[in-house]
Amino acid sequence: MLSKLRDINFGELADKMLNLIGLEDGWWERVVGLLTYNPSSPMTLDSGFFLFAFLLFGIGYMVVKPVARLRTLYVVLFSLYFYYKLSGIYLLLLLFVAISDFLIGRRVAHSRENGGGKGWVALSVTINVAILAYFKATNFFVDTINNLYGNGTLDWESVVVPAGVSFFVFQSIAYVVDIYRGTIKPLKRLSDYIFLLSFFPKMFLGPLVKAKEFIPQIEAPRLPISRDDLGRAVTLIAGGLIKYGILAKALGTLFVAPAFAGELGDGGMVALMAIYGFTLQIYCDFSGYSDMAVGVALLMGFRLPDNFDAPYHSATITEFWRRWHISLSTWLKDYLYISLGGNRRGSVRTYLNLILTMFLGGLWHGVGLTFIAWGLLHGIALALHKLWLKIIPNAKAVGRDMKWWWRIPAVAFTFHIVAFGWLLFTSKDMAEVEGVLTAIAYRFSFAEFVPMVERSAVAFAIMAVGYAMHLLPRKVDNAVMRGITRSGFIGQWLVMVVAIWAVMQCDMLLMANGGGGALPMYAAF
Amino acid sequence: MKQRNSTLRAWFLTLFVTMGIIGAGFIPAAEIFGITLQPVDILSEIKEPSEGAVEFEADIERLEMELAALSEVGDSIAIDTLPELPPVRFEWLAKESANYERRVPTIDELKPDTTHRVIAIEDFDTLATTRFDRLIEKLASGDDVRIAFMGDSFVEGDILTSDLRSELQQSFGGRGVDFVPCDIPFATARRSVKRSASGWSSYSVMKPKSAPESLRDLFFISGYISEGKAGAKVRWQSTDIFPTIDSCSRARILLVSRDTSRVVVTLNDTLSHEVEIAGDERLREIYIEAPYKSLSMRVAEGSVVCYGASLEGDGGVVVDNFSVRSNNGHAIFGTGAQINRQAHDMLSYDLVVLQYGLNIMMPGQRNFSKYRDQLRDMIAYTERCFPNAAILVLGVSDRWIKDEETGRFKPIGSVDALTRHQRAAADSCRVAFWNTSEAMAEYGGMPAFVRNGWAAGDYTHLNYAGGRRIAEALARTIRKSVYDCLVEREEERQREEQRRMEEELIRQMRIDLNIANQREAVTPIINSIKDSLPADVE
Repeated sequence: MLSKLRDINFGELADKMLNLIGLEDGWWERVVGLLTYNPSSPMTLDSGFFLFAFLLFGIGYMVVKPVARLRTLYVVLFSLYFYYKLSGIYLLLLLFVAISDFLIGRRVAHSRENGGGKGWVALSVTINVAILAYFKATNFFVDTINNLYGNGTLDWESVVVPAGVSFFVFQSIAYVVDIYRGTIKPLKRLSDYIFLLSFFPKMFLGPLVKAKEFIPQIEAPRLPISRDDLGRAVTLIAGGLIKYGILAKALGTLFVAPAFAGELGDGGMVALMAIYGFTLQIYCDFSGYSDMAVGVALLMGFRLPDNFDAPYHSATITEFWRRWHISLSTWLKDYLYISLGGNRRGSVRTYLNLILTMFLGGLWHGVGLTFIAWGLLHGIALALHKLWLKIIPNAKAVGRDMKWWWRIPAVAFTFHIVAFGWLLFTSKDMAEVEGVLTAIAYRFSFAEFVPMVERSAVAFAIMAVGYAMHLLPRKVDNAVMRGITRSGFIGQWLVMVVAIWAVMQCDMLLMANGGGGALPMYAAF
Repeated sequence: MKQRNSTLRAWFLTLFVTMGIIGAGFIPAAEIFGITLQPVDILSEIKEPSEGAVEFEADIERLEMELAALSEVGDSIAIDTLPELPPVRFEWLAKESANYERRVPTIDELKPDTTHRVIAIEDFDTLATTRFDRLIEKLASGDDVRIAFMGDSFVEGDILTSDLRSELQQSFGGRGVDFVPCDIPFATARRSVKRSASGWSSYSVMKPKSAPESLRDLFFISGYISEGKAGAKVRWQSTDIFPTIDSCSRARILLVSRDTSRVVVTLNDTLSHEVEIAGDERLREIYIEAPYKSLSMRVAEGSVVCYGASLEGDGGVVVDNFSVRSNNGHAIFGTGAQINRQAHDMLSYDLVVLQYGLNIMMPGQRNFSKYRDQLRDMIAYTERCFPNAAILVLGVSDRWIKDEETGRFKPIGSVDALTRHQRAAADSCRVAFWNTSEAMAEYGGMPAFVRNGWAAGDYTHLNYAGGRRIAEALARTIRKSVYDCLVEREEERQREEQRRMEEELIRQMRIDLNIANQREAVTPIINSIKDSLPADVE
């Protein structure tokens, strides 16, 4: 019996078992290859690699979770690895920002007691803004010089924006400013601060966290995860995957991208529908990815703020910015608008501050006329709405307070302002904006509609489903979440497997149409 | 209410989800609402050949045995049971008269323009009239010419080849988009043809193990086979993106029907024809002559393995695109030698182009001797499957990579080295070679391609516009060769004329000379006679 056992070649047996699930020789080398940074396939929350990494990470995490210090170190190490897989060498930039602002934060706290510290804040802001400006503006600057004085005046290859750089730079500025304002005390340990900046679910695309809300979670002795949390996490991840991986990607590949590229003809109907399509696409893309981040963090017991709240339900532009990319608009309000003086310096300054804040917000997306126009559009709209609230008696700031007969046109009006903004946002230059608008103004025909829908039937079905889902009231979302929570382990398992399977299926189908595998849109910012 | 902590539960959920997704990979392909669902594979990143890691072994000996067996079988059947031999070709001639597309080029129209340097084809063949010369002579005479263009993702979607075809067809005649596969999973669509297929189970030569054992020896150099049972259908339609492809007049559908089956072929969605194919191991061809824009085929009974169809004109130049993503050329060792040879017997290729190597370069790599030796095997394999066809090895194209430190793009640093090794392989196998990166350098190299929007931002893959430049450069070279051939013929003709004129002249002179000579010879006699005559006779 024993001799029989000895005859078995365990190495061979293991190989056979691996072959059974389809792994062929050399798979280990490929695993090692996967573990290193590869610019063409960064690790994102929706990658298959992340699923495995998260599974392995989870084993250790369960062990260290009850001890806050160990937990922090463990998560920091994994987060740094995650960022390395996402951005490679720029990991050093993240560490530089973390260390620099950690030290500055302590100096600020120290000087503050003597009524100083402004200089240190200025230093931190200068460093951070310089980093942002370098990555965001260099290409524009070089291109402009070369366009003016001929190609090759400045010999400079394109600067690549490191993934998530804006997100950690913004949070780092907020941390130092918060200390200066006395909202928070500086962290005692560098590892805690790196944790705050680099926590991997939010690393790539946010949501931005507020130090005040996040630090207690880092220090919390226990991070309980309730059954409700688990249900919510599954709902967010599965829903986010579907929004991001199916709705946004399919809509973009099958209709929006070819429409903007002029492949579907130059009619006004196509142009208009492309704008509506992009409006839905950017929402599904960004909010889907944000939802996944919130869900993954929740699986670990951390609570990240919600980033989106059905933004196209907004009845006014002010409401829109309370529902769209909430963590960024809060940041802009707290650290830009208020720093500019907010509304405490008279109404004219308030309007100017609003416009300036949105102008800078636009500029942050990219140095270019289209983004500036987008920022100005929103800034001016916000200022006008503030004026409107002031001079019209009974004017309401949010749709909730309005009568239905006023709210419906208000929602439609706000939606179109925002959609027009997205046209500016997605066009590569003003000429393209003009082209689209000319098509809508002079070549619009309803007769175009049916053939267009027939040609891109799948995309229009997706658009219809996407907008219908968006229009459902919050109650329905909550009911779905409750249902998933109550469906128990098997139900949640099924939801996740079906969602992931569907996204992979969709990715393969889109690849056949020249899409698939792309990064989230906001990765560019 | 205090709820239980679900940390462990969350992890187990992750574990079971992972296992569930791995399990979902075993769900076979299915079709729902007209959408073909494919098996998903979360492990694909680990399983996927990281650029051609599938091991293909060249076994020339086995290949020769197979090919020998092929001709034996053919001979013995031909002798013993000739009446029962199932037909190889099923013809459907639905056209009254042939309208030949072939055209004889004239010297004037091929005169090379001097704006671009011609990158010459280096022919290492040592025959007195090389295989490549024969190709050029056929083009010069306006004969039908068939080219197989084998490549990787560089020519996927008919990039480069569509323009090469268009260029050659405009100079030497021909129509059509030529070979189009039946059903390729996930491949980029070709802009030159619309294709829709449903009900097929398709397999790639790059993943031979995914194909049923019985089908693995059926791969053709096209790289994909599609097995379809009753109900499977495929439709091809030419587009009008190039002047020479909008309509076709000949079609050849290539398939194998091991058991007797019935297929229905339809032209322009209206005219149908039913073909009953007796079961046989060998490659079958449904040959159609008719003017058409769309062609479809449906399996009505039984089961067939379809390769695709060639939508072509009445003669002229045919350029078949056989692209297989991330193939470094090795995949030919996974194709069936017998199928390749049978296809060659039907289609008779005059030239096989091998475009590979883009995926094997590592930054800064200089030594490609291993790949050079493999390339020799590939050439040897190709020569045996396609006897008498000229073989042209294309050097690797220019490729740049991103510098990790500066974020700028820089040359990958191994293009020249790989090109040298590819040329060496062509040299030792005595086939032709053409330097693609040199042709790109004529246009300013990869940075210029990216700047002009001819290449993707990865500084590796060309788009259609970039492919057009390479196609133009290659077509220019071929045209130049044909031009030289025509000039030589013309000179030969003139020399011949000259010689004839000279001969005529000489003959004439000889006659004159003879007359003169004779006169000279006769004069003394006459004189002597005169002298001998009595004086009074005068």
